[in-house]
Amino acid sequence: MRWSSLPVALAAATGLQVCGLAADHGAHAEAAAQQGLPSAAPILFHVGPLPVTNSMVLTWVVALILVLAVRLGVGTLRQIPEGAQNFWEWLVEGLYDFLGGIIGPDLVRKTFWFFSALFLFVVTTNWFGLLPGVGTIGWGHPGDHGFHVSEPLLRGANADFNMTFAMALVFFVLWTVWALQANGPVGFLKHLFGAKGGLGGFIGLVLVVVFFAAGLLEVVSILFRPVSLSFRLYGNVFAGENMLESMTHLGGVNWGWLTALPFYFMELLVGLVQALVFMLLTAVFTLLICAHDEEPGEEGSHH
Amino acid sequence: MIAEMSGNIHVAAAALGAAIGVGLIGKGAAEAVGRNPGAATKILVQAILSTAFAEGIVFFALFLWNGK
Repeated sequence: MRWSSLPVALAAATGLQVCGLAADHGAHAEAAAQQGLPSAAPILFHVGPLPVTNSMVLTWVVALILVLAVRLGVGTLRQIPEGAQNFWEWLVEGLYDFLGGIIGPDLVRKTFWFFSALFLFVVTTNWFGLLPGVGTIGWGHPGDHGFHVSEPLLRGANADFNMTFAMALVFFVLWTVWALQANGPVGFLKHLFGAKGGLGGFIGLVLVVVFFAAGLLEVVSILFRPVSLSFRLYGNVFAGENMLESMTHLGGVNWGWLTALPFYFMELLVGLVQALVFMLLTAVFTLLICAHDEEPGEEGSHH
Repeated sequence: MIAEMSGNIHVAAAALGAAIGVGLIGKGAAEAVGRNPGAATKILVQAILSTAFAEGIVFFALFLWNGK
C-alpha cells in the first residue's frame, strides 16, 4: 500500500532534523531581547546531547496527527469508501493525477510516496502553525509591554531553518539516487557534461568545450538547490509569523485581532502555495535529470 | 546623498527586482489564461515555478548576508 511509506518519509525528515545544524545560538539570544520572533528556534530541553527545540515538538505533533489521521481514517480499506477514506482517496488521487500530468506516468509511480508526503507534511505544518496557542503558550517573563513569552511550547516547524534544510537534504540524496538509477553513472555524467545536438567535425569539438563549461555551471546550480529550496520555505514561513506578530501589535490591545485577521487569510494561502512550490520544484528537478532516459533514439530533436 | 545611504540596500534592490519579476509573471500568466483558458492548470504550474525562482533571490539577499 502506498500509504505505508508516509511514516517512513516523515521519520527520515524529522530524524535528519535532530542531527541538523544547531547553529545560531548567539544570534538567538540577541534576537530574543528585541520584539518579534527570534530567527532560531529556542531550545526547550535536552535529550542526552541533542537539543530539542519547540519547532521539533511541533514537527512530531504534526507527524503524529498525520499518521493517526491516515491510520484511523483508513484503518481497513473498503471497496466502497466511506467517511474519512473518501477524503484521503480524493486527496491522494488528486495529487497523483496532478503530479502525473507534470512528471509523467512512469516517474510518478516511482516517486509519488516522497512528493505526496512532502506536500502533505509541509502544508499541515504551515497551517498548524497558524492555530491560536502556537507561539503564545510557553515560558517567559514580564516585560515592558506586558508578559513576554520567550520560550513558547510550539513554534511553526518551517520557521526553523533546520527543518527546511533537512527536507531539502533528504530530497538531494533521493534526487542523486533517482538520477543514478535512471541514467547510470556514465549516463549521469553525460547528462550533465555531454554535448547535445549531435553535431560533428570541428564545430562538435568546440561545442564539447562549451557544453563542459555549461555542465560546470549546471553542477553549481544543482549544488545550490538545497540552499534555495530551504531558504524559500523558511523565509516565507518565518516572515509570515513575524508579520502576524507585527500586525497584532499594530492594532493594540483591543483591535489587534482585527488588524491581523486579513493576514491570517494571506498566510493560509502562502502556506498552501509554498507547500505546492516545494513539491513542484523538487518534482521538476527530478524530471529534468530523469527525463533523458525516456526518449532514446531522438538524436538532435530535444534540448 | 549616496554617501549617507547605509544598511540593507541589497535587500531593497533584491525585493524591488523580485517584485517586478513576480508582477511580470502574473501579467504573462493572466494573459495566457485569457487566450487559452483550457491550459489554465499548465500555466499555473509554470507561473508558480517561475515565481518561486524570482522570489528566491530575495531570500539569498536576506540570509546569505553575514551583516556587519
